Amino acid sequence: MKTKYLIIAFAALALVGCSKEKDQEEAPKPEQATYVGTVTVVSNGSSFDNENIEVSFNPSESGDSCSLTIYQIRFVPQMPVTIDVTIPGVAVAVDGDKTVLSCDSVVPLAMGGEYPRYKVTDFKGEMVGDEMAFSLNFGSSPTSFRGTRKED
Amino acid sequence: MSLRNFAVAMTAGFLLSALTLLTPLNDTVLTEVTVTAPKESVSVGKIASPVTVVRSAELESGGIYRPNDLSFRIPGLHIPDYGASLTSSIYIRGLGSRMENPVIGLYIDGIPVLDKNAYDFDWEGIQSVTMLRGPQGTLYGRNAMGGVLSLSTLSPSSEARSSMFLEYGTANTCRVGLSFLNASNVFSATYRHGDGYFDNVFKGAPADPYDGLSLRWKWVKSASDRLFLTNVLSAGVCREGGFAYGRYEDGVLSPVSYNDEGGYRRLSAIEGLRLDYRTEEFVADAVASLQFLADDMRMDQDFTPASVFTLRQQQQSAAATVELNLRRADNAASWQPVTGFFAFYRHNAMSAPVVFKREGIENLILYNANANIPDEIGYLTISDAEMPVLSDFVLASWNAALFHESVFRSGDWQFTAGLRLDYEGGLMDYDCLTTLHYRFFPTMSADKACTVAYRGTADHFGLVLLPKLSALYEASDPLKLFVTVSRGYRAGGFNTQIFSDILQQMMMKTLMKDLGVYLERPSSGVEASASEYDPESAWNFETGLRYRKQSFSADASVYYMAVTNQQLTVFPPGQNTGRMMTNAGRSRSLGAETQLAWQPGDFHSRFSWAWCDARFVRYQDGNNDHAGNRVPYVPAHTLFLGAGYIFRFGGCSLAADASLAGCGPQWWNEGNTLDEPVHLFLDGRLALVFPQWEVYLGGGNLTDTRGHSFYFKSVGKEFFASVKPRIFTIGLSVKL
Repeated sequence: MKTKYLIIAFAALALVGCSKEKDQEEAPKPEQATYVGTVTVVSNGSSFDNENIEVSFNPSESGDSCSLTIYQIRFVPQMPVTIDVTIPGVAVAVDGDKTVLSCDSVVPLAMGGEYPRYKVTDFKGEMVGDEMAFSLNFGSSPTSFRGTRKED
Repeated sequence: MSLRNFAVAMTAGFLLSALTLLTPLNDTVLTEVTVTAPKESVSVGKIASPVTVVRSAELESGGIYRPNDLSFRIPGLHIPDYGASLTSSIYIRGLGSRMENPVIGLYIDGIPVLDKNAYDFDWEGIQSVTMLRGPQGTLYGRNAMGGVLSLSTLSPSSEARSSMFLEYGTANTCRVGLSFLNASNVFSATYRHGDGYFDNVFKGAPADPYDGLSLRWKWVKSASDRLFLTNVLSAGVCREGGFAYGRYEDGVLSPVSYNDEGGYRRLSAIEGLRLDYRTEEFVADAVASLQFLADDMRMDQDFTPASVFTLRQQQQSAAATVELNLRRADNAASWQPVTGFFAFYRHNAMSAPVVFKREGIENLILYNANANIPDEIGYLTISDAEMPVLSDFVLASWNAALFHESVFRSGDWQFTAGLRLDYEGGLMDYDCLTTLHYRFFPTMSADKACTVAYRGTADHFGLVLLPKLSALYEASDPLKLFVTVSRGYRAGGFNTQIFSDILQQMMMKTLMKDLGVYLERPSSGVEASASEYDPESAWNFETGLRYRKQSFSADASVYYMAVTNQQLTVFPPGQNTGRMMTNAGRSRSLGAETQLAWQPGDFHSRFSWAWCDARFVRYQDGNNDHAGNRVPYVPAHTLFLGAGYIFRFGGCSLAADASLAGCGPQWWNEGNTLDEPVHLFLDGRLALVFPQWEVYLGGGNLTDTRGHSFYFKSVGKEFFASVKPRIFTIGLSVKL
């Protein structure tokens, strides 16, 4: 009987061990996703909304960093062109249901290369459920985004 | 010569006709029995359509050796002489365009010439030229909506003798030709060299030199009492400059001045075999031909001393046609049916690379792109010295048709009813590629290649019905009246010359997307759908009269044509570089044509006049509504007034001929904002004629009248082609 209880105890222990390992493997990894929302740019003291802007969240292999590409953004209403801007090297940290985005100052990529004119500073952001929000300074222009995940 | 002279000429023409009516008509009798149209079951004099016949003597005295020379002599026919031999723009009755399918059918000894690029050639040994005006779709099918031009060459059975000539003239123009006849063969050849009439001031050399050789061998054989064979082998080669266009700016026309190569080379051959089989009941006429054309056009497409962009277009086309007509042998029967089958297939391999040179890259591509990018963002550069847009096409077209036409005679009446069913198709395989190396400053540290390929297939096919109804009434022996309703159509096709614009547009979109830069207002571009255009069709309602009495003939007709999908050559808006065919919604032509000929004794004269009011009924080009405007390039009037007299002196004679001919006014664009006034040109010829030979002096445009034969825009700049200046020739003709 003792032997029987011992086997059951080992089996239970093994199961608990397996379950714990499985839990570690299945920790949610951020996935590539596109969000659609509004980018608000404050330029020369007045704010300007870019509606229906797509932001692509592109995680790295390890999932601990990502790049964010903002498509067809305009920094001032008079700008005759829109441009795609990519913010590289954004750190990703999963905190429960929340994914926290952060980075130090970084030179964004635009028009085929680095674009120091709109250096990114004060980047803060998070993703909760289907929502994404972040704020930063593009050069001297405070900019923020709030959007919803676009269905595939 | 302008409007006043035009009025004087018109008055003189009518005076001539009035004088004719007051003159006893008992001199030379005009004969029409030697002239036949290729497919009609009745003689030319009984065709219920207006017909013009120009015989060999008139061709000779008028110095006519190319289709262009028939302009104005045939009422309403305008074939402007500009560009190069592939241009072949033909306008008649408000129809016509300078690209793609022709508006009239061309037949040489009953063999159709399929390729419009071969419509302009020098001929020798022509017995007569017959032009049936108005849609002739029922018997001749596609592209005969303006009419049919039929050339009959000398036959061994004709009374003509072997002959040769040598001619020299202005601009070192030298022509030599011969026709040799024996019992069953006719061999004709003609060669022309000319230094050209316009200088390219940038190169300090003639812009339009010409060398061309045309050869024809005709073999006629009676295989039996019933079977007659005719084989006609025609070939031609030409090498020429061309595109003598001067820039028009602020009301001033500059001389021709372009830096890149411009010219045209062509090798063409048509082998046609005709079998006539006659029984007591029917005549079967079978015609088969093989046609080959290889040409090479080089064009400085900006026509300026700047290195902007060039086009080289090379084609190798081969085609086969087959036709069988059956008609009744008894010409006197009251019912004259013609039933036939026609088919052709044409294959054309074309290469048409457009090369954007450095100034073209700077001005057409970079300027447009950077104009929309704010300075504070940056600017685009392209490092390539040249950007070739490679375009290769395989074009195929085919047609199969069944037709029937019945002519019923009853007393003084003759009724004609006909119907043709055409199955028409076309296919284009396109393979276009372009690459450039770009860099955006200040963000990119090195050049990056951007390649755009555009490949695919387009096709179209459909059925076309071409009916005809007509009635002809013999009011008296010399006078016939007719009324005709008929439909014609011109095949649709593909706009190969617009692909460089499509590629350029795609390249800019790809490049900007690659950069992540999007223009708020993209430049107006050419969509890929513009690479096709639709068939054009027209209903023609016409009535006229024909009067023949001895040495006098008169023809007059009035017509109304309702045109659907009129094909126009247009330039896409903006800084686009190509040109393309498009379809105007609807247009209509209202016109009148008349021709008088009088040949009493040693005097001969011809008067031809046509009036055409061709306007758009519905045409919105995307920016402007052109309804009510004149169809461009179509002259409102054409006029020819010619006369000659033979002074006889014992064993020789002096033949003097003079003519006044021209057209106008005509409008150069769809908006009718630019027009060309009436221009008339005085030509003359004096020949000292002996039984075996003659020597002659000729002159063209003797008053050295200045005018324009062509206008167009390229990348927003305007250009004109001028008419040829005064020309003198001296020649010797010998009959062997």
